[in-house]
Amino acid sequence: MTQESKSPRAEQQFFDDPAIDRIMGAFMALATEHYVLLDRVRAMERELVSVGTLDRGALAREPSESERAETAIDRTAFVEALMRPLLGEQDAAGATGKFSLK
Amino acid sequence: MDDRSFVAAQDFLLSAKTYWSTTMYRTLRDKSAAANKDVVDEQVETVASIAQCIEDAPLYQFYAWLERHLQRMKYAGRYGLVPYHHERRDDLLSALNQAFDAEKILDIDTSLALPAYYTGVDIHQHPGGVWSDAIAGMVYERGARTTTPLTGAAEKDVHERFTDLVLGECSPTTVLDMGCGFGKSTQPFVRRLPDSSIDAVDLSAPCLRLAADTALQSQAGNVRFRQMNACDTDFDADSFDLVTSTMVLHELPPKTIEELLDEAFRVLSPGGRMVHLDFYCVPDAFRRFVHYGHARRNNEPYMQPLAELDLSVLVESKGFVDVEITPFQESDRVDLNADDAWRFPWTVISATKPEGAAS
Repeated sequence: MTQESKSPRAEQQFFDDPAIDRIMGAFMALATEHYVLLDRVRAMERELVSVGTLDRGALAREPSESERAETAIDRTAFVEALMRPLLGEQDAAGATGKFSLK
Repeated sequence: MDDRSFVAAQDFLLSAKTYWSTTMYRTLRDKSAAANKDVVDEQVETVASIAQCIEDAPLYQFYAWLERHLQRMKYAGRYGLVPYHHERRDDLLSALNQAFDAEKILDIDTSLALPAYYTGVDIHQHPGGVWSDAIAGMVYERGARTTTPLTGAAEKDVHERFTDLVLGECSPTTVLDMGCGFGKSTQPFVRRLPDSSIDAVDLSAPCLRLAADTALQSQAGNVRFRQMNACDTDFDADSFDLVTSTMVLHELPPKTIEELLDEAFRVLSPGGRMVHLDFYCVPDAFRRFVHYGHARRNNEPYMQPLAELDLSVLVESKGFVDVEITPFQESDRVDLNADDAWRFPWTVISATKPEGAAS
Protein backbone atom coordinates (compact mmCIF):
# COMPACT_ATOMS: atom_id res chain seq x y z
CA MET A 1 0.00 0.00 0.00
CA THR A 2 1.38 3.38 -0.92
CA GLN A 3 1.65 6.19 1.58
CA GLU A 4 -0.58 8.39 -0.61
CA SER A 5 -3.47 5.94 -0.41
CA LYS A 6 -3.70 6.10 3.39
CA SER A 7 -6.73 8.04 4.54
CA PRO A 8 -6.28 10.89 7.01
CA ARG A 9 -9.80 10.44 8.37
CA ALA A 10 -10.20 9.75 12.06
CA GLU A 11 -11.03 6.10 12.80
CA GLN A 12 -14.48 5.19 14.13
CA GLN A 13 -14.83 5.02 17.92
CA PHE A 14 -16.51 2.14 19.73
CA PHE A 15 -15.45 2.42 23.37
CA ASP A 16 -16.27 5.22 25.80
CA ASP A 17 -12.54 5.86 26.11
CA PRO A 18 -10.95 6.13 22.64
CA ALA A 19 -7.69 4.93 24.16
CA ILE A 20 -9.25 1.47 24.37
CA ASP A 21 -10.00 1.55 20.65
CA ARG A 22 -6.36 2.21 19.96
CA ILE A 23 -4.91 -0.27 22.43
CA MET A 24 -7.20 -2.89 20.94
CA GLY A 25 -5.59 -2.17 17.59
CA ALA A 26 -2.17 -2.82 19.03
CA PHE A 27 -3.46 -5.91 20.81
CA MET A 28 -4.93 -7.45 17.67
CA ALA A 29 -1.81 -6.63 15.66
CA LEU A 30 0.26 -8.47 18.27
CA ALA A 31 -2.19 -11.35 18.32
CA THR A 32 -1.94 -11.69 14.57
CA GLU A 33 1.84 -11.48 14.73
CA HIS A 34 1.84 -14.15 17.40
CA TYR A 35 -0.21 -16.46 15.27
CA VAL A 36 2.02 -15.89 12.28
CA LEU A 37 5.04 -16.75 14.42
CA LEU A 38 3.30 -19.81 15.80
CA ASP A 39 2.54 -20.97 12.30
CA ARG A 40 6.13 -20.47 11.26
CA VAL A 41 7.59 -22.32 14.23
CA ARG A 42 5.24 -25.20 13.56
CA ALA A 43 6.34 -25.29 9.97
CA MET A 44 10.00 -25.16 10.93
CA GLU A 45 9.56 -28.07 13.31
CA ARG A 46 7.84 -30.02 10.58
CA GLU A 47 10.72 -29.42 8.24
CA LEU A 48 13.38 -30.30 10.80
CA VAL A 49 11.66 -33.56 11.62
CA SER A 50 11.15 -34.57 8.06
CA VAL A 51 14.47 -33.64 6.43
CA GLY A 52 16.81 -33.03 9.35
CA THR A 53 17.94 -29.62 8.07
CA LEU A 54 16.55 -26.11 7.65
CA ASP A 55 15.22 -25.11 4.23
CA ARG A 56 13.99 -21.48 4.21
CA GLY A 57 12.43 -21.79 0.77
CA ALA A 58 10.28 -24.61 1.99
CA LEU A 59 9.28 -22.61 5.05
CA ALA A 60 8.14 -19.70 2.91
CA ARG A 61 5.99 -21.77 0.62
CA GLU A 62 2.21 -21.44 0.92
CA PRO A 63 0.85 -24.32 3.01
CA SER A 64 -1.30 -26.96 1.40
CA GLU A 65 -5.01 -27.17 2.10
CA SER A 66 -4.44 -30.34 4.11
CA GLU A 67 -1.75 -28.65 6.21
CA ARG A 68 -4.10 -25.75 6.93
CA ALA A 69 -6.82 -28.19 7.89
CA GLU A 70 -4.44 -29.87 10.36
CA THR A 71 -3.96 -26.60 12.25
CA ALA A 72 -7.61 -25.55 12.23
CA ILE A 73 -8.56 -27.10 15.60
CA ASP A 74 -5.66 -25.48 17.41
CA ARG A 75 -6.38 -22.19 15.69
CA THR A 76 -9.97 -22.30 16.88
CA ALA A 77 -8.82 -23.00 20.47
CA PHE A 78 -6.37 -20.13 20.30
CA VAL A 79 -9.07 -17.75 19.14
CA GLU A 80 -11.40 -18.99 21.89
CA ALA A 81 -8.75 -18.26 24.56
CA LEU A 82 -8.08 -14.84 23.08
CA MET A 83 -11.66 -13.71 22.65
CA ARG A 84 -13.60 -15.35 25.47
CA PRO A 85 -12.51 -12.67 28.03
CA LEU A 86 -14.37 -10.13 25.92
CA LEU A 87 -17.67 -11.77 26.87
CA GLY A 88 -17.12 -10.64 30.50
CA GLU A 89 -18.18 -13.93 32.07
CA GLN A 90 -16.48 -15.64 35.03
CA ASP A 91 -14.74 -18.99 34.66
CA ALA A 92 -14.86 -19.51 38.49
CA ALA A 93 -17.79 -18.22 40.54
CA GLY A 94 -17.03 -15.23 42.77
CA ALA A 95 -17.89 -11.61 43.45
CA THR A 96 -18.84 -9.62 40.37
CA GLY A 97 -18.60 -6.02 39.31
CA LYS A 98 -16.05 -3.26 39.81
CA PHE A 99 -13.99 -3.35 43.02
CA SER A 100 -13.27 -0.18 44.96
CA LEU A 101 -12.11 0.73 48.45
CA LYS A 102 -13.06 4.40 48.07
CA MET B 1 5.75 -10.86 3.30
CA ASP B 2 5.97 -14.44 2.15
CA ASP B 3 2.96 -16.55 1.18
CA ARG B 4 3.01 -18.61 4.37
CA SER B 5 2.89 -15.60 6.67
CA PHE B 6 0.08 -14.03 4.64
CA VAL B 7 -2.02 -17.18 4.69
CA ALA B 8 -1.41 -17.76 8.42
CA ALA B 9 -2.45 -14.19 9.28
CA GLN B 10 -5.52 -14.31 7.05
CA ASP B 11 -6.50 -17.71 8.51
CA PHE B 12 -6.18 -16.27 12.02
CA LEU B 13 -8.34 -13.28 11.13
CA LEU B 14 -10.95 -15.56 9.56
CA SER B 15 -11.02 -17.76 12.68
CA ALA B 16 -11.47 -14.64 14.80
CA LYS B 17 -14.31 -13.55 12.48
CA THR B 18 -15.90 -16.96 12.86
CA TYR B 19 -15.83 -16.70 16.66
CA TRP B 20 -17.25 -13.18 16.35
CA SER B 21 -20.06 -14.28 14.02
CA THR B 22 -21.08 -17.29 16.12
CA THR B 23 -20.28 -17.28 19.85
CA MET B 24 -19.95 -13.54 20.23
CA TYR B 25 -23.03 -12.80 18.10
CA ARG B 26 -25.18 -15.28 20.05
CA THR B 27 -24.02 -13.87 23.38
CA LEU B 28 -24.80 -10.34 22.23
CA ARG B 29 -28.21 -11.45 20.96
CA ASP B 30 -29.07 -13.09 24.29
CA LYS B 31 -27.89 -10.16 26.37
CA SER B 32 -29.78 -7.74 24.15
CA ALA B 33 -32.97 -9.78 24.50
CA ALA B 34 -32.58 -9.92 28.28
CA ALA B 35 -31.92 -6.20 28.52
CA ASN B 36 -34.82 -5.29 26.25
CA LYS B 37 -37.21 -7.55 28.13
CA ASP B 38 -36.99 -5.21 31.11
CA VAL B 39 -37.67 -2.14 29.00
CA VAL B 40 -40.04 -2.83 26.12
CA ASP B 41 -42.29 -5.61 24.87
CA GLU B 42 -40.69 -7.77 22.17
CA GLN B 43 -43.47 -6.76 19.81
CA VAL B 44 -42.53 -3.10 19.95
CA GLU B 45 -38.75 -3.45 19.87
CA THR B 46 -37.08 -1.01 17.53
CA VAL B 47 -33.53 -0.35 16.40
CA ALA B 48 -33.51 2.64 18.72
CA SER B 49 -34.78 0.69 21.73
CA ILE B 50 -32.15 -2.00 21.21
CA ALA B 51 -29.46 0.63 20.80
CA GLN B 52 -30.61 2.28 24.01
CA CYS B 53 -30.22 -1.01 25.90
CA ILE B 54 -27.06 -2.46 24.42
CA GLU B 55 -24.80 0.19 22.92
CA ASP B 56 -23.08 1.07 26.20
CA ALA B 57 -22.42 -2.56 27.14
CA PRO B 58 -18.74 -3.59 26.89
CA LEU B 59 -19.73 -6.72 24.99
CA TYR B 60 -21.34 -4.66 22.24
CA GLN B 61 -18.39 -2.30 22.12
CA PHE B 62 -16.00 -5.22 21.60
CA TYR B 63 -18.38 -6.74 19.07
CA ALA B 64 -18.52 -3.50 17.10
CA TRP B 65 -14.79 -2.88 17.33
CA LEU B 66 -14.00 -6.36 16.07
CA GLU B 67 -16.41 -6.08 13.15
CA ARG B 68 -14.68 -2.90 12.07
CA HIS B 69 -11.10 -3.90 12.68
CA LEU B 70 -11.02 -7.55 11.65
CA GLN B 71 -12.14 -6.27 8.25
CA ARG B 72 -9.53 -3.49 8.36
CA MET B 73 -6.79 -6.00 9.12
CA LYS B 74 -8.02 -8.28 6.34
CA TYR B 75 -7.37 -5.55 3.77
CA ALA B 76 -4.73 -3.27 5.25
CA GLY B 77 -1.91 -3.47 7.76
CA ARG B 78 1.11 -5.73 7.78
CA TYR B 79 -0.58 -8.88 6.46
CA GLY B 80 -3.46 -7.29 4.56
CA LEU B 81 -4.69 -8.19 1.11
CA VAL B 82 -3.59 -4.84 -0.32
CA PRO B 83 0.10 -4.96 0.71
CA TYR B 84 0.30 -8.67 -0.18
CA HIS B 85 -0.89 -8.04 -3.73
CA HIS B 86 1.05 -4.79 -4.01
CA GLU B 87 4.31 -6.68 -3.42
CA ARG B 88 3.38 -9.00 -6.31
CA ARG B 89 2.02 -6.25 -8.58
CA ASP B 90 4.30 -6.73 -11.61
CA ASP B 91 3.85 -10.50 -11.79
CA LEU B 92 0.08 -10.24 -11.33
CA LEU B 93 -0.35 -7.61 -14.04
CA SER B 94 1.92 -9.26 -16.57
CA ALA B 95 0.04 -12.55 -16.19
CA LEU B 96 -3.26 -10.73 -16.66
CA ASN B 97 -2.28 -8.63 -19.67
CA GLN B 98 -0.91 -11.54 -21.71
CA ALA B 99 -4.37 -13.05 -21.93
CA PHE B 100 -6.03 -10.19 -23.81
CA ASP B 101 -3.90 -9.85 -26.90
CA ALA B 102 -6.06 -11.91 -29.21
CA GLU B 103 -9.52 -11.69 -27.73
CA LYS B 104 -12.46 -9.29 -27.98
CA ILE B 105 -14.09 -10.32 -24.76
CA LEU B 106 -13.35 -7.07 -22.95
CA ASP B 107 -14.32 -3.48 -23.70
CA ILE B 108 -12.81 -0.84 -21.39
CA ASP B 109 -14.16 2.70 -21.69
CA THR B 110 -11.34 4.95 -20.54
CA SER B 111 -13.60 8.02 -20.89
CA LEU B 112 -16.27 6.72 -18.50
CA ALA B 113 -16.85 9.15 -15.63
CA LEU B 114 -17.21 7.25 -12.36
CA PRO B 115 -20.01 8.54 -10.13
CA ALA B 116 -19.17 10.34 -6.90
CA TYR B 117 -21.07 7.84 -4.73
CA TYR B 118 -18.77 5.14 -6.12
CA THR B 119 -15.46 6.90 -5.63
CA GLY B 120 -16.28 8.73 -2.40
CA VAL B 121 -16.09 5.75 -0.05
CA ASP B 122 -13.70 2.79 0.07
CA ILE B 123 -16.40 0.11 0.25
CA HIS B 124 -15.66 -3.00 2.33
CA GLN B 125 -12.73 -1.02 3.80
CA HIS B 126 -10.77 -1.84 0.66
CA PRO B 127 -8.19 1.01 0.54
CA GLY B 128 -8.64 2.83 -2.75
CA GLY B 129 -11.85 0.93 -3.49
CA VAL B 130 -12.29 -1.68 -6.21
CA TRP B 131 -11.58 0.73 -9.04
CA SER B 132 -8.51 2.94 -8.45
CA ASP B 133 -5.65 0.45 -8.72
CA ALA B 134 -4.92 -1.94 -11.59
CA ILE B 135 -4.64 -4.85 -9.13
CA ALA B 136 -7.84 -3.94 -7.23
CA GLY B 137 -9.83 -6.69 -8.96
CA MET B 138 -7.44 -9.35 -7.73
CA VAL B 139 -7.47 -7.92 -4.21
CA TYR B 140 -11.26 -7.95 -4.24
CA GLU B 141 -11.41 -11.49 -5.61
CA ARG B 142 -9.16 -12.83 -2.87
CA GLY B 143 -11.14 -10.97 -0.22
CA ALA B 144 -14.47 -12.20 -1.53
CA ARG B 145 -13.47 -15.83 -0.99
CA THR B 146 -14.45 -15.38 2.66
CA THR B 147 -17.60 -13.24 2.26
CA THR B 148 -19.70 -16.16 3.53
CA PRO B 149 -17.25 -17.94 5.88
CA LEU B 150 -19.87 -20.25 7.35
CA THR B 151 -20.56 -21.88 3.98
CA GLY B 152 -18.94 -25.29 3.79
CA ALA B 153 -16.12 -25.77 1.30
CA ALA B 154 -17.99 -28.66 -0.32
CA GLU B 155 -21.13 -26.60 -0.83
CA LYS B 156 -22.11 -24.64 -3.90
CA ASP B 157 -21.22 -21.01 -3.37
CA VAL B 158 -23.84 -18.27 -3.18
CA HIS B 159 -23.59 -17.37 -6.87
CA GLU B 160 -24.12 -20.96 -7.97
CA ARG B 161 -27.14 -21.25 -5.69
CA PHE B 162 -28.57 -17.99 -7.02
CA THR B 163 -28.06 -19.15 -10.61
CA ASP B 164 -29.83 -22.44 -9.79
CA LEU B 165 -32.78 -20.46 -8.51
CA VAL B 166 -32.94 -18.06 -11.47
CA LEU B 167 -32.56 -20.72 -14.17
CA GLY B 168 -35.11 -22.87 -12.40
CA GLU B 169 -37.70 -20.29 -13.40
CA CYS B 170 -36.58 -19.17 -16.87
CA SER B 171 -34.39 -20.18 -19.83
CA PRO B 172 -32.97 -16.93 -21.22
CA THR B 173 -31.08 -16.65 -24.49
CA THR B 174 -29.86 -13.13 -23.71
CA VAL B 175 -28.63 -12.12 -20.25
CA LEU B 176 -27.35 -8.86 -18.77
CA ASP B 177 -25.42 -9.00 -15.47
CA MET B 178 -25.45 -5.51 -13.99
CA GLY B 179 -22.48 -4.66 -11.75
CA CYS B 180 -20.70 -7.95 -12.41
CA GLY B 181 -17.53 -7.06 -10.46
CA PHE B 182 -14.78 -9.56 -11.23
CA GLY B 183 -17.30 -11.88 -12.84
CA LYS B 184 -18.07 -14.28 -10.02
CA SER B 185 -21.79 -13.66 -10.47
CA THR B 186 -21.52 -14.02 -14.26
CA GLN B 187 -19.51 -17.26 -14.38
CA PRO B 188 -22.34 -19.64 -13.42
CA PHE B 189 -24.60 -18.18 -16.12
CA VAL B 190 -21.78 -18.45 -18.66
CA ARG B 191 -21.25 -22.13 -17.81
CA ARG B 192 -24.91 -23.05 -17.57
CA LEU B 193 -26.03 -21.21 -20.73
CA PRO B 194 -23.40 -22.08 -23.37
CA ASP B 195 -25.74 -21.21 -26.25
CA SER B 196 -26.90 -17.90 -24.79
CA SER B 197 -25.39 -14.46 -25.22
CA ILE B 198 -24.31 -12.92 -21.94
CA ASP B 199 -23.29 -9.31 -21.38
CA ALA B 200 -21.81 -8.16 -18.10
CA VAL B 201 -21.14 -4.54 -17.14
CA ASP B 202 -19.36 -2.86 -14.28
CA LEU B 203 -17.78 0.48 -13.41
CA SER B 204 -14.45 -1.06 -12.37
CA ALA B 205 -11.89 -1.63 -15.13
CA PRO B 206 -9.58 -3.69 -12.84
CA CYS B 207 -12.46 -6.00 -11.93
CA LEU B 208 -13.57 -6.37 -15.56
CA ARG B 209 -10.03 -7.30 -16.63
CA LEU B 210 -9.99 -10.11 -14.10
CA ALA B 211 -13.50 -11.21 -15.13
CA ALA B 212 -12.47 -11.40 -18.78
CA ASP B 213 -9.24 -13.22 -17.91
CA THR B 214 -11.17 -15.83 -15.94
CA ALA B 215 -13.63 -16.28 -18.81
CA LEU B 216 -10.79 -16.68 -21.29
CA GLN B 217 -9.14 -19.31 -19.15
CA SER B 218 -12.36 -21.32 -19.21
CA GLN B 219 -12.60 -20.73 -23.00
CA ALA B 220 -16.01 -19.12 -22.69
CA GLY B 221 -17.21 -17.75 -26.01
CA ASN B 222 -20.64 -16.56 -24.96
CA VAL B 223 -19.79 -13.61 -22.71
CA ARG B 224 -18.59 -10.05 -23.14
CA PHE B 225 -17.47 -7.77 -20.30
CA ARG B 226 -17.91 -4.03 -20.79
CA GLN B 227 -17.03 -1.04 -18.64
CA MET B 228 -20.32 0.78 -18.41
CA ASN B 229 -22.66 2.34 -15.88
CA ALA B 230 -25.48 -0.17 -15.40
CA CYS B 231 -27.88 2.76 -15.00
CA ASP B 232 -27.03 4.17 -18.42
CA THR B 233 -26.03 1.44 -20.89
CA ASP B 234 -25.88 1.61 -24.67
CA PHE B 235 -27.79 -1.61 -25.19
CA ASP B 236 -30.88 -1.47 -27.39
CA ALA B 237 -34.29 -1.44 -25.78
CA ASP B 238 -36.01 -4.82 -25.42
CA SER B 239 -32.73 -6.71 -25.91
CA PHE B 240 -32.47 -9.09 -22.92
CA ASP B 241 -34.60 -11.97 -21.63
CA LEU B 242 -32.99 -11.74 -18.20
CA VAL B 243 -31.44 -8.85 -16.31
CA THR B 244 -29.72 -9.72 -13.07
CA SER B 245 -27.46 -8.27 -10.40
CA THR B 246 -25.76 -9.67 -7.33
CA MET B 247 -24.86 -7.56 -4.30
CA VAL B 248 -25.19 -4.31 -6.29
CA LEU B 249 -28.35 -2.55 -5.05
CA HIS B 250 -26.98 -1.99 -1.55
CA GLU B 251 -24.01 -0.13 -3.03
CA LEU B 252 -26.31 2.44 -4.69
CA PRO B 253 -28.02 5.56 -3.34
CA PRO B 254 -31.84 5.30 -3.59
CA LYS B 255 -31.97 7.68 -6.57
CA THR B 256 -29.46 5.50 -8.43
CA ILE B 257 -31.46 2.37 -7.60
CA GLU B 258 -34.39 4.01 -9.36
CA GLU B 259 -32.20 4.71 -12.39
CA LEU B 260 -31.01 1.11 -12.44
CA LEU B 261 -34.59 -0.17 -12.31
CA ASP B 262 -35.53 2.18 -15.15
CA GLU B 263 -32.63 0.89 -17.23
CA ALA B 264 -33.46 -2.73 -16.46
CA PHE B 265 -37.02 -2.10 -17.62
CA ARG B 266 -35.80 -0.43 -20.83
CA VAL B 267 -33.40 -3.17 -21.92
CA LEU B 268 -35.64 -6.08 -20.94
CA SER B 269 -37.76 -7.68 -23.64
CA PRO B 270 -41.50 -7.71 -22.87
CA GLY B 271 -42.06 -10.78 -20.71
CA GLY B 272 -38.44 -10.72 -19.58
CA ARG B 273 -37.48 -11.22 -15.95
CA MET B 274 -35.37 -9.02 -13.66
CA VAL B 275 -33.77 -10.79 -10.68
CA HIS B 276 -31.52 -9.17 -8.09
CA LEU B 277 -29.75 -10.86 -5.16
CA ASP B 278 -29.12 -8.42 -2.35
CA PHE B 279 -29.54 -7.64 1.36
CA TYR B 280 -33.08 -6.54 2.17
CA CYS B 281 -35.43 -8.75 4.22
CA VAL B 282 -34.32 -8.13 7.80
CA PRO B 283 -36.57 -10.26 10.01
CA ASP B 284 -36.55 -8.44 13.35
CA ALA B 285 -35.38 -5.33 15.18
CA PHE B 286 -32.22 -6.91 16.64
CA ARG B 287 -30.98 -8.07 13.28
CA ARG B 288 -31.88 -4.68 11.80
CA PHE B 289 -29.79 -3.05 14.55
CA VAL B 290 -26.91 -5.40 13.72
CA HIS B 291 -27.34 -4.86 9.96
CA TYR B 292 -27.27 -1.07 10.21
CA GLY B 293 -24.20 -1.27 12.43
CA HIS B 294 -22.49 -3.53 9.92
CA ALA B 295 -23.24 -1.01 7.16
CA ARG B 296 -21.49 1.79 9.00
CA ARG B 297 -18.57 -0.34 10.16
CA ASN B 298 -17.95 -1.93 6.76
CA ASN B 299 -18.13 1.35 4.79
CA GLU B 300 -21.48 0.59 3.18
CA PRO B 301 -23.33 3.93 3.32
CA TYR B 302 -26.28 2.81 1.18
CA MET B 303 -27.02 -0.49 2.88
CA GLN B 304 -29.38 1.06 5.45
CA PRO B 305 -31.22 3.24 2.90
CA LEU B 306 -31.86 0.12 0.79
CA ALA B 307 -33.19 -1.78 3.80
CA GLU B 308 -35.57 1.09 4.52
CA LEU B 309 -36.90 1.41 0.96
CA ASP B 310 -40.31 0.00 0.08
CA LEU B 311 -38.84 -1.97 -2.81
CA SER B 312 -42.07 -3.67 -3.80
CA VAL B 313 -43.83 -0.35 -4.33
CA LEU B 314 -40.78 1.14 -6.06
CA VAL B 315 -40.37 -1.77 -8.50
CA GLU B 316 -44.09 -1.73 -9.35
CA SER B 317 -43.93 2.03 -9.91
CA LYS B 318 -41.42 1.40 -12.68
CA GLY B 319 -43.93 -0.71 -14.62
CA PHE B 320 -42.89 -4.18 -13.50
CA VAL B 321 -45.42 -6.85 -12.55
CA ASP B 322 -45.24 -10.13 -10.59
CA VAL B 323 -42.90 -8.55 -8.05
CA GLU B 324 -41.50 -11.12 -5.62
CA ILE B 325 -39.25 -10.36 -2.65
CA THR B 326 -38.16 -13.45 -0.75
CA PRO B 327 -35.40 -14.39 1.72
CA PHE B 328 -32.56 -16.40 0.17
CA GLN B 329 -30.78 -19.31 1.83
CA GLU B 330 -27.11 -18.79 0.98
CA SER B 331 -25.98 -22.11 2.47
CA ASP B 332 -27.42 -25.51 3.37
CA ARG B 333 -26.13 -24.84 6.88
CA VAL B 334 -28.35 -21.79 7.30
CA ASP B 335 -31.78 -22.12 8.88
CA LEU B 336 -33.76 -19.06 7.82
CA ASN B 337 -35.97 -19.45 10.89
CA ALA B 338 -33.05 -19.51 13.32
CA ASP B 339 -30.76 -16.73 14.50
CA ASP B 340 -27.70 -18.60 15.67
CA ALA B 341 -25.00 -16.79 13.70
CA TRP B 342 -24.40 -13.42 12.08
CA ARG B 343 -25.35 -13.42 8.42
CA PHE B 344 -26.31 -11.03 5.68
CA PRO B 345 -30.09 -10.72 5.11
CA TRP B 346 -29.84 -12.33 1.68
CA THR B 347 -32.93 -11.58 -0.41
CA VAL B 348 -34.07 -12.20 -3.97
CA ILE B 349 -35.96 -9.33 -5.60
CA SER B 350 -37.55 -10.31 -8.90
CA ALA B 351 -40.14 -8.87 -11.28
CA THR B 352 -41.37 -9.18 -14.86
CA LYS B 353 -41.66 -6.60 -17.63
CA PRO B 354 -45.21 -7.12 -18.85
CA GLU B 355 -45.95 -8.38 -22.35
CA GLY B 356 -46.74 -5.45 -24.61
CA ALA B 357 -44.99 -2.92 -22.38
CA ALA B 358 -43.29 0.01 -24.10
CA SER B 359 -39.66 0.65 -23.08
